[in-house]
Amino acid sequence: MKAIHCKELTKQYRRKAALDGVDLSIDDNKIIGLIGRNGAGKTTLLKIISGMLRESSGHVEVFSKRPFNNLFVSANSIYIDDQMNFPPSLTLKELLKEGRRFYKNWDHDLALRLFEHFGFHEKESHKNLSKGKESTFNMIVGLCSRCPLTIFDEPTTGMDAAVRKDFHRALLKDYIAHPRTILLSTHYMNEMEDLFEEVVLLDHGKLRLHTTMDDLREYAIGLSGKVSSVQPWLEGRDVLDQQESGLDDVQVAVKHDYTDGEIQRMRLDGISVTSIQPTDACMFLTKQEGGGLDHVFRSNESE
Amino acid sequence: MILDTDGLKPIYIQIAEWIESEILHGNLQQDDKVYSQYKLADMYNINPATAAKGLKLLADEEIVYDKRGIGKFVSEKAQAIIVEKRKGQSLKHLLEDVVSEAKRLNMTEEEVRKALKELWKTSGEDD
Repeated sequence: MKAIHCKELTKQYRRKAALDGVDLSIDDNKIIGLIGRNGAGKTTLLKIISGMLRESSGHVEVFSKRPFNNLFVSANSIYIDDQMNFPPSLTLKELLKEGRRFYKNWDHDLALRLFEHFGFHEKESHKNLSKGKESTFNMIVGLCSRCPLTIFDEPTTGMDAAVRKDFHRALLKDYIAHPRTILLSTHYMNEMEDLFEEVVLLDHGKLRLHTTMDDLREYAIGLSGKVSSVQPWLEGRDVLDQQESGLDDVQVAVKHDYTDGEIQRMRLDGISVTSIQPTDACMFLTKQEGGGLDHVFRSNESE
Repeated sequence: MILDTDGLKPIYIQIAEWIESEILHGNLQQDDKVYSQYKLADMYNINPATAAKGLKLLADEEIVYDKRGIGKFVSEKAQAIIVEKRKGQSLKHLLEDVVSEAKRLNMTEEEVRKALKELWKTSGEDD
């Protein structure tokens, strides 16, 4: 079954299109990573899906219903980011109790155990938490709600490395026990990629790529060696990135549609063939047109 | 086993190869139940779908067989299939590396053969 279906989804903020004709279908009960540069439209997409924003045009369905102002969708989904609007008069423990009242699948036992594990105190108030602690508490709410559609927007903001690791493990374990659709945006893809089944890559409000994590891992390969031996292999291929190094060496990231035999021949040619990490593949796929940072400094130096 | 997430080898293949090694080393015997996709996901902190893909690979190669609703089990011919496959694949890759390095060093085929022969002899004496 489809959990989410978008057709030509567009969101216009004054003159700027935050989302520009996005076609996207997400199966239920998968963990999906949402990736993209700052300002690519990730938060806008997630907020439309959870019914917090209204689309400007196009079509969006969550569990076959239009999410905006829809009670069914809001009862069956949760949206977690770092600006959660919890009532300031309630303590952390009271917030968890409210969670139990609101979400029908809420696992209060797990909530209390995670609360304890991460060292929270009953009477603390949400607004006095540090950045990392706040994210940790929000994560507990997101996990324990067990919503059929659970959305995390940059859930690990401010968390230290150990807590992030705990979060990833908790997410996976709870997902294995209670499969549900989990949509998660992150800038730390290398830390989370093993958890994702699929990845959605947004670029300037457009859908750049939607593929399985396994395919993304093999999306591109890195070739490095002498220019004269690498160059012939690039003819008619989709080169994503190219860096000269040393005198006549070159490092290239190229879309991987080579056969095993071709790879073997490259190796015999003395070319070193490496994998391209999904994080890097996404970075190459969404890089800005025109020169990079070096270009910025170059014009400065010439003045 | 520690997953090599930087290598060229996809994780689901690493999972499949790890199970193959368990079979080769005798930790999993014929008709033993193989770890489920969920168990593997939990063990290696990976998405269950990735683990399932590794198991499917083993099923396609008839190293494991499926009992509907119960799980996957080590097949009768598992050992033999794995040995044949490894001869065909891993050894070939290693030899490829040898050939390309030898070419870089301008060694002749004869020289490589000689080096291999010597190595074969000395490793034979160790046994």
